[in-house]
Amino acid sequence: MSRIVIRNARLYDPEYDLKYDVGEGSSPPHPNDPTNNTATNTADLYLNDGIIEGVNLGGDVDESFDAGGNLVTPAFVDLHAHLREPGQEVKENLASGLAAAAAGGYGTVVSMANTTPVITEPEQIAELIAKAERLGQARLRPAAALSHGLKGERLTDFAALQDAGAVMITDDGIPVRDAHLMRRACEYAAELGLVIQTHSEEPSLRQDGVMNEGTVSQRIGLPGNPVAAEAVMIYRDCEIAHLTGARVHIAHVSSARGWAVVERFKEQGAPVSGEVTPHHLTLTDEAMAAFDPVYKVAPPLRSAADVAFLRDALARGVVDSIGTDHAPHTRAEKDRDMLDAPFGIGNIEVAFPLLYSELVTTDVVTLAELLRRLQRGPTDVMDWSRPNLDPGSPADVVVLDLGTSRPVRPETFKSKATFSPWAQQTLRGWPVATFVRGRKVYEREGSS
Amino acid sequence: MPTLTPKAQLLDDRDLERALTRIAHEIIERNKGADKLALIGIHTRGVPIAERLAGLIARFEGVTPKLGKLDITLYRDDLSEIALQPLVRRTEVPFDISGHAIVLCDDVLYTGRTARAALDALIDLGRPAVIQFAVLVDRGHRELPIRADYVGKNVPTSRHEVVKVRLEPIDSSDAVELWEQA
Amino acid sequence: MNDVRNAVDAASALPETTQPETTQHRHLLDLHDWSVDDVTRLFQTADVMAEVMQRTIKKVPALQGFTVGTLFFENSTRTKLSFERAARAQSADVLSFAAGGSSLSKGESLRDTLKTIDAMQADLYVVRHHAAGVPYQLARWTDAAVVNAGDGRRAHPTQALLDAYTFRQYFPGFDGFAGKKLAIVGDVRHSRVARSNIELWTKLGAEVALCGPATLLPREFEQFSGVTRHFRLEPALEGAHAVMALRLQQERMQTGLLPSLAEYQARYQLTAAHLAYAHPDALVMHPGPLNRDVEMSGALADSDRSVIDRQVAAGVPIRMAVLYTLLVGKR
Repeated sequence: MSRIVIRNARLYDPEYDLKYDVGEGSSPPHPNDPTNNTATNTADLYLNDGIIEGVNLGGDVDESFDAGGNLVTPAFVDLHAHLREPGQEVKENLASGLAAAAAGGYGTVVSMANTTPVITEPEQIAELIAKAERLGQARLRPAAALSHGLKGERLTDFAALQDAGAVMITDDGIPVRDAHLMRRACEYAAELGLVIQTHSEEPSLRQDGVMNEGTVSQRIGLPGNPVAAEAVMIYRDCEIAHLTGARVHIAHVSSARGWAVVERFKEQGAPVSGEVTPHHLTLTDEAMAAFDPVYKVAPPLRSAADVAFLRDALARGVVDSIGTDHAPHTRAEKDRDMLDAPFGIGNIEVAFPLLYSELVTTDVVTLAELLRRLQRGPTDVMDWSRPNLDPGSPADVVVLDLGTSRPVRPETFKSKATFSPWAQQTLRGWPVATFVRGRKVYEREGSS
Repeated sequence: MPTLTPKAQLLDDRDLERALTRIAHEIIERNKGADKLALIGIHTRGVPIAERLAGLIARFEGVTPKLGKLDITLYRDDLSEIALQPLVRRTEVPFDISGHAIVLCDDVLYTGRTARAALDALIDLGRPAVIQFAVLVDRGHRELPIRADYVGKNVPTSRHEVVKVRLEPIDSSDAVELWEQA
Repeated sequence: MNDVRNAVDAASALPETTQPETTQHRHLLDLHDWSVDDVTRLFQTADVMAEVMQRTIKKVPALQGFTVGTLFFENSTRTKLSFERAARAQSADVLSFAAGGSSLSKGESLRDTLKTIDAMQADLYVVRHHAAGVPYQLARWTDAAVVNAGDGRRAHPTQALLDAYTFRQYFPGFDGFAGKKLAIVGDVRHSRVARSNIELWTKLGAEVALCGPATLLPREFEQFSGVTRHFRLEPALEGAHAVMALRLQQERMQTGLLPSLAEYQARYQLTAAHLAYAHPDALVMHPGPLNRDVEMSGALADSDRSVIDRQVAAGVPIRMAVLYTLLVGKR
């Protein structure tokens, strides 16, 4: 195994709340840092045999990476990405999706189960994990489907899937229509300690809606999907979580009213948590007036008031995790009409720079809060150990350049979806390099 | 757009009136009176010319010829090439032109393309017995085999020059001027 | 420049200008960026075209050398015919693409379909599609001009133009749209005709009163400037100078938006008696095709207050004007 040093690293370990200049005031010394690292004082981080060895240790190394004074912090965790393998490799596959994740600064990705065929069998889980290990990119921790064929009729074998390595149960992409089935799924998952992730939209209210129902949808004449469709289904799913004690993670909450339901149940101590996505934090339904299906996503982009509310929730620290809902499609699929084009935005490679530029540099949230929702937030949802830079921890780290502005260039994406709602937008906060299992899996072109 | 500077006055208001009077007499003479005679002015300044000629003919003959307005925009031969859109105006020919002697009226005869378009436009409206062409100024430089039957004044010009016709009530006075492109 | 005629005669002389207050539009997708002056000039051009259509020879050479492609992904014999007549009456070549959606349903993207058709090098496409936004998408992908002939629920600008044009022609003593009131009755939710008429009439200065059951008249319409929302005919029609009924699709009953046809007819069918609420000279309009005795009584449709036939007749001159306005001066 190899020993790597990341030199000139401005270390940020979220578990020590080291507050260099990430927006939260003074900087206490790092307990692991003999040189009393500060904002203006960089250190060398040693990775050895896939784990973090320590700081400023010296000695021989196989590889040296100069972080150039950039921030070095644990790689991000995404509980919500559509990697499309098996069966939809024309949109994305494990190789492209996990490389894209690494390019976005992610060290761990939970893949969704709405593939072709749907992930319902333990062998499929084992195969995905084995393949991802061979790829050696970001780590894959697959989710399994809740129901066979995502049909919402018959539960999958949760225990066997869990034994094979599934970390989450979800029919994401399709709401679980039958409340009784959702109840049974939650009871079963509670017993096994599995997290259920929901796609909370009431189908009979959503109907054929392709965008947020409101003034914009009525103006431009596209069928609307009302906030109520999300809010009532979140309410149902939270009540079932409360009833069964299951850990229910409400995916991609898009609206103020939807989030208010999640927050209320959280306050009451129900075992629920909530996720928001980069696009629901940065785009509004006005974007749909351009009639470009690249903005078509489920749940839909909401009003400016909803975006403001979600941003405020993030600032208040009540959002549990930011999940990308990276949902790549082919250009041809997105070149269909607004009704026919599929839902989803590929975003995993721009998620951090987008959120950093739109939320941190504008003082909506602190860098520390944003990082929490990408590091500790997701792992707390899953009850995994929190990402940190302690010796002995997994050597999954990202080097973030918070200073340089660069345009979004979709043609350079590792993802197969080489187009983006944010194309050409100038952003800061680009990952320079990502290390997973102690190996460099991504390095920005022209950065060294 | 090129800037223009005035160069010479070709006709003043009295010259212009005399020219129209002569043309009116010629029209009457050629057509042996004003029965079955119709004057059709080409937008924009052919219209007042036709109106004035009609007034003069009515005065001389006691018979008022029929009057019409013709817009030839839809018949231009350059519509698929031009960069700026011309304003289309109404064609108003409130009678059947078939069997009539039509005198097309315009202010300036230049390349002949307007007259060509006007002939096509007119023939789409019916089958006149005869079509004649009256112009206030013929400035030469024909690009088509077209000539006028009645000419107020022949003016040799260069292609860099512009003939400006002012006619009441469209303009504040009557005059024909030669302008030069700078 | 005071001498238009000279300019025509002189390729080398004075370029003729469009009137300064009008914009040379590339497309007609909706009426959002068409100014009042643009619309006024279009109406004036339509007046000229209407005269052409009254001649024995209903044809001018204005668009000779131009090719107009009709691209109807959704069937509409009437509108397609109207556009093709408008093109041919100006001597344009017409390519008619029967784009019934078969290839698209096999997975071909809209863009690929257009690429195939674009190889025919039309100068302008007339597009109808069941999905809102398709004309906007096509306009991004082609160098040709695009005319929206109806996209989903979004827009049907030529219909709105011919409706307003008909009103301007036939309302007794017409003196402008300011202070006028248009009442639109029926299925506003699904109606591109309603959306385009709201956009156009409010732009021209008129007030638009919408009337229908709440299921077919979403409350968001209250937020549109110059628009009021009513559930009863009387306040909607009060003082209205034009009353327009929208076509009611029978499928609205099946999808639960209306309890029954009888209830709709009882509450919203326009009859001669309702005109008592309106202005004494009010015109009765319908975008067609009319469901006789559903949204409007047959007697009212046939009455002397009805200008439904005149709306149809205005279709060709308006579409001629649109084609002329978009094509001439484009190069």
